[in-house]
Amino acid sequence: MGRVVGIDLGTTFSLIAYLDAQTGSPKCIPGPYGSTLCPSVVSVDRDGKVIVGEPARAKLLTQPERTIYSVKRLMGRGVADVQDELKIFPFRIDPGSDNVIRVRLGDKSFTAPEISAYILRELKSWAEAYFNEPVDRAVITVPAYFNDAQRQATKDAGRLAGLEVLRLVNEPTAAALAYGLHKQKRGHVAVYDFGGGTFDISLLKLISTNEGDIYQVLATNGDTHLGGDDIDNALLDLARREIREKFGVEFDHRGEAIQTLRKSLIRAKHELSSAQRTIVQYPLESKGMYVREITRAEFEELIRPIIARTMAPVKMALADAKLAPQEMDEVVLVGGSTRIPLVRKTVGDYFQRAPHCELDPDEVVALGAAVQADILETGVKTMLLLDVTPLSLGIETMGGVIAKIIPRNSTIPASAQELFTTGVENQTAIDVHVLQGERELAKDCRSLARFQLKTPPGPAGLARIEVKFLIDANGILQVAARDLRTSEQHTVEVQPSYGLSDTEIERMLEESIEYAEQDFAERQVIEARTEAETILAATDKALADPRSREISAAERKAVADSEAHLRAALAGGDYKLMRTRIDEINAATAHLAEVLMNGALQTAFEGKRLDDV
Amino acid sequence: MSVIRSQDAQTEGIPVTSCWNCRAAVTGAHFCAACGKVQPLPAGASYFAFFGLPQKLTIEPASLEGQFHMLSWKLHPDNFVRASEFERNLSLERSSQLNDAYRTLRDPIARVEYLLEHLGVRKEGTTRQQAPPELLEEVFELNESLDELRDARAAGGDVAALQGRLEAAQQNFQEGLDDVDTELAALGREWDAAVDFGGDESKKQALLARMNETLNRRAYIRNLVAGVAKELGS
Ligand SMILES: Nc1ncnc2c1ncn2[C@@H]1O[C@H](COP(=O)(O)OP(=O)(O)OP(=O)(O)O)[C@@H](O)[C@H]1O
Ligand SMILES: [Mg+2]
Ligand SMILES: [Zn+2]
Repeated sequence: MGRVVGIDLGTTFSLIAYLDAQTGSPKCIPGPYGSTLCPSVVSVDRDGKVIVGEPARAKLLTQPERTIYSVKRLMGRGVADVQDELKIFPFRIDPGSDNVIRVRLGDKSFTAPEISAYILRELKSWAEAYFNEPVDRAVITVPAYFNDAQRQATKDAGRLAGLEVLRLVNEPTAAALAYGLHKQKRGHVAVYDFGGGTFDISLLKLISTNEGDIYQVLATNGDTHLGGDDIDNALLDLARREIREKFGVEFDHRGEAIQTLRKSLIRAKHELSSAQRTIVQYPLESKGMYVREITRAEFEELIRPIIARTMAPVKMALADAKLAPQEMDEVVLVGGSTRIPLVRKTVGDYFQRAPHCELDPDEVVALGAAVQADILETGVKTMLLLDVTPLSLGIETMGGVIAKIIPRNSTIPASAQELFTTGVENQTAIDVHVLQGERELAKDCRSLARFQLKTPPGPAGLARIEVKFLIDANGILQVAARDLRTSEQHTVEVQPSYGLSDTEIERMLEESIEYAEQDFAERQVIEARTEAETILAATDKALADPRSREISAAERKAVADSEAHLRAALAGGDYKLMRTRIDEINAATAHLAEVLMNGALQTAFEGKRLDDV
Repeated sequence: MSVIRSQDAQTEGIPVTSCWNCRAAVTGAHFCAACGKVQPLPAGASYFAFFGLPQKLTIEPASLEGQFHMLSWKLHPDNFVRASEFERNLSLERSSQLNDAYRTLRDPIARVEYLLEHLGVRKEGTTRQQAPPELLEEVFELNESLDELRDARAAGGDVAALQGRLEAAQQNFQEGLDDVDTELAALGREWDAAVDFGGDESKKQALLARMNETLNRRAYIRNLVAGVAKELGS
């Protein structure tokens, strides 16, 4: 078995860390550019090569249509969920997507877990180079307020990257672990984590027991779509409006120009964390130069509403933990956006104490993940994490109302048992709809999954099926059912409402293992060859069919010729030639296929054509 | 791994089984006393039994919390990452039961509800809300005020006076809620005494019925208070 690591899979930056056995403290691993921060940016170049991190970030400016950032915002979400975001983020969503979003990068499309898997693979390779040893297991962090689908998507990404995901740990909890280890403090700790794309607040109790230290999360809350990105977008809005008004220049929100502008605004934002004023300069080709001074005061006015949005979750978490702000013994700041002075002041004023920020807010989450990875690897010895589920779990009942079965902020693992029966005579299936959220109506909550309990026909109310809902230590739902009359385990086929099915993951995995080491051209040859062979077999079969006599001798010869040409191309290794010959044979056999109306043949041809598009 | 000694209360009505690993006799304990392996949950074991507690309603919060931490330390899935799938599942089952039991027992109201459900007096998930007779008149007035407030809001009329009246009513019902809680606590003490001194069955049944009725009343008033809070807050 290889090494275990902790990974912070962030919206803007990702990091990988391990526990140094010598010093007993966690450490982040630097990449080839010397930094421990890997920009969460993925780019696919023209010959299909995937580029991750710093070089991909450069492509954001030169090849925005082949490059993606902030993909974490798409994890576990469907197309309907991201409509608002599409107005501000330059995601190119594949029109065929529904409950699993596919993003186009150049001429191919990818799901969010696949793109995240590229980031994980990159980090894995950093660690492997560093240790000179394989790395195959990891603890990956997720925002505490991530729902089931977002967690599952993260776990899928790990699997696709060839990592066994030992545990998903909540980011603020990981930070508390790193922090507590560092400070040896006890009492109530609030972790305020304001990153690039997500906001979390977690309230913990640090307890010393005879066996060791327990980090018990009392309550958590947050917003999985609130972060530094939103501040960037507010600045971008301002600049775009002014440029439109003064210069009459309109930006395409997916173009290259806007990425350059965005980059200079982010730089200005960072400067304003230490300076009182900064100047943004942006050349507008023939129209001159957009020059804009931004003062700290003006910036603070602009972002005040965004920062205010973080306070509602803070208040809810305190209410759930039945604690007052001044009862917190420590306040810890995590995430790049907590470098903003107004954020520090707002948090400090609210809790009436100066927040801690002595640990590097960029690294602290990854460091905590490494600590947890070590605990799982070597066994619980001195520390134990008790985390909670951020959202209530419920099932839909009559009239679309939700019955809550596991309340939010329950320590995980948590479970609930429900008894189901039939409502009408001879009913053979009971529909179960599982949701997550705090609202009262099913339509306002997040659909997690649906499944059917099958039962033999009989009088109404006779069936007795007990379903056990269990939220595991990753915050992911597991379902098991048992027929109480026969005491037999019931198999339930859970259809996730959002996300990839097991079969899809298996397929992606097979593909990724099969193709990981092959270069693009080789893969093209294999694909073209397989396709050609299918078509040739189908064509041979078609020609042997008695009904094929209906086509003219000339056509028959054309088909035979195109077969010969394709076979000749197959003998060589040029996939482009194979493609051309495939197109030719497809054209030559079109009439034949029509005439035959042979189901199998039809599918063989059509199947191929569909794949081509 | 140290073994949690089987506690007396835990054996109550729980059949003796044999350890899945070493076949030694086990009676509901978390771990086998002989080999230390985590054991499956016996069917029908109560949350009280899980903590080795008698079925009484007075529970010292600090000692419950201490037990919770001690058991978490031993049962948490973190301890079983490298165990067999079978053991991993047992740990998942037991640690989720631990968390469910702690969540329920540490809350005095949920604790009573659970006891009643466990003893079959109350059906799970059913909170039959009964309007307490002595409050009927006030409830009637309250509903009237709520209607008036909604009408006034819709018509853009004067809402300040109505709001004042509702706040007073809310205060009133909140006090009613506190009274109910006091009543429930007193019933709880009576129940504990009956358990301790082996009070006769019919007396126990009567106590349970009264607790159930009090819970229903409580649910009703709580809904009223929540409804008013929502109306005032909006
Ligand atoms: N000095 C600074 N002043 C203001 N903002 C900063 C500063 N440094 C970093 N940021 C912002 O912090 C954000 C990145 O923070 P961080 O790396 O913690 O996020 P992340 O882990 O990638 O995202 P998340 O945790 O939300 O998934 C970016 O929006 C970045 O612009
Ligand atoms: Mg982060
Ligand atoms: Zn044993």
